[in-house]
Amino acid sequence: MTHAIDVRQLHKSFGDLEVLKGIDFTVDSGEVVCVLGPSGSGKSTLLRCLNRLEESNSGTILIDGEDITDIDADVDQLRSNIGMVFQQFNLFPHLTVLKNLTVAQTGVLKRSKDEAIGIARQMLERVGLSDKIHEYPAHLSGGQAQRVAIARALSMKPKMMLFDEPTSALDPELVGEVLDVMRTLAGEGMTMMVVTHEIGFAQEVADRVVFMDDGVVVEEGSPDDVLRNPKEDRTKQFLRMVLET
Amino acid sequence: MVRPLTRFRIMTKFTHRQRARYYQITMYAVAAVVTLVVVFAADWSKIQKNFFNSEIAAEMFPEVITSAVKNTALYTLVSFVLGMILALGLALMRLSSLKAFRAFAIGYIELFRGLPALITLLFVGFGLPIAFSGFRIPGGVLGRGSVGLALVAGAYMAETIRAGIEAVPKGQTEAARSLGMSQTRTMFTIILPQAFRIIIPPLTNELVLLIKDTSLFFILGSTPGTKELTKFARDFMNAERNATPLTVVAALYLLITLPLTFLVRRLERSAAKAR
Repeated sequence: MTHAIDVRQLHKSFGDLEVLKGIDFTVDSGEVVCVLGPSGSGKSTLLRCLNRLEESNSGTILIDGEDITDIDADVDQLRSNIGMVFQQFNLFPHLTVLKNLTVAQTGVLKRSKDEAIGIARQMLERVGLSDKIHEYPAHLSGGQAQRVAIARALSMKPKMMLFDEPTSALDPELVGEVLDVMRTLAGEGMTMMVVTHEIGFAQEVADRVVFMDDGVVVEEGSPDDVLRNPKEDRTKQFLRMVLET
Repeated sequence: MVRPLTRFRIMTKFTHRQRARYYQITMYAVAAVVTLVVVFAADWSKIQKNFFNSEIAAEMFPEVITSAVKNTALYTLVSFVLGMILALGLALMRLSSLKAFRAFAIGYIELFRGLPALITLLFVGFGLPIAFSGFRIPGGVLGRGSVGLALVAGAYMAETIRAGIEAVPKGQTEAARSLGMSQTRTMFTIILPQAFRIIIPPLTNELVLLIKDTSLFFILGSTPGTKELTKFARDFMNAERNATPLTVVAALYLLITLPLTFLVRRLERSAAKAR
């Protein structure tokens, strides 16, 4: 069976700094995988390699069985199938919420304007922000902005979603609304890979948890195994530090 | 012994505000004296006759508007549009991943920013036709002058546009590319609209500079129909042996440039709202 994401021996360096030192892991279709680890462990870089926002140095990345590190791969086509949500939301500030959701639909997928608007409305309803459709991003709270960013990614009807610390830039009281949306999405069977510091969310929603440190996968398994009975010392140490604060 | 100390204390307590006040009063006094001296010493009838002569001013109308202002506006607009197109190309080359493009853009920008605009105008207006006999940029004074000014303005505006593009956060590009947008589409629908909002003020300065630089068009020669404001005023001044045309034209320049800066302030405000 082909995995949705299949990473083999992935290496990535920034200059002399080796950030990923041979990563192997898979995500199956419909699976929710949370990636945990201290900052600087390479988890965000790994995520960004999956849609080639970063170019890996060696190793292969198969998305639905297709090698995307291939020099001939159609990067734009690949990216339109993978939704990505950023820590800083990265909404387009000069466009309304509606335009944020339709600009790539009409431009990249060549959907008609009416179809794009219809899908945009549907996605905004999914994240509970139908009333913000004509607002500019500056008028949204952080939590609302991130939900719009999720809706924007969903508007492309992607096969999978990547989340790069989606709640790290939010005020604590706004984290819940974003996690709720992600929880619903997971419940609907979306393939998701989530880099996060929200241990509780990982515990509850993830099918599998991957713990990374220093450019390698230290430990992976079910949330119960990794988060409650970690085998590796580095995992134990990390969890102790995170749970204390 | 006690007294001077108390006095000193009181003085330091008030001295800051008081000093500012004394300073203000002194400056007002100086200004008043200077104004009075000027008012009484100046030969007002002479000044009025030579700079504010209403009869001569009246003779300039309506041609100064229908022809001179129109030509200045036209020359500015065409130079600005041509310069902007050139600048956009140069800015994109300057940011290109291809070294040859970057080198060309840098060379061009340094060259034309280093030359007086007048030299460029002379090259375009006379140098090229002499070197390649028969070669002429079409459009007469408008064509030659605008191309010349656009070559210069393009160099300045290219740096402005580049700064604007670089001021747009990197996350914007990443978000657009992760939605599958191509590099070109990202640039034109996401990055440039934001960059231009950022650079509206410096671009307007460019426009104001261009309005003033069109006064250099006199060097290209003129027919009665192609005179812009400055040339028009100069010829009128020479014919009448009177400086009033310069005053009129100066006022007209301000009439164009001041609303422009006002408009920019409004645009800036609405852009700030959208951010």
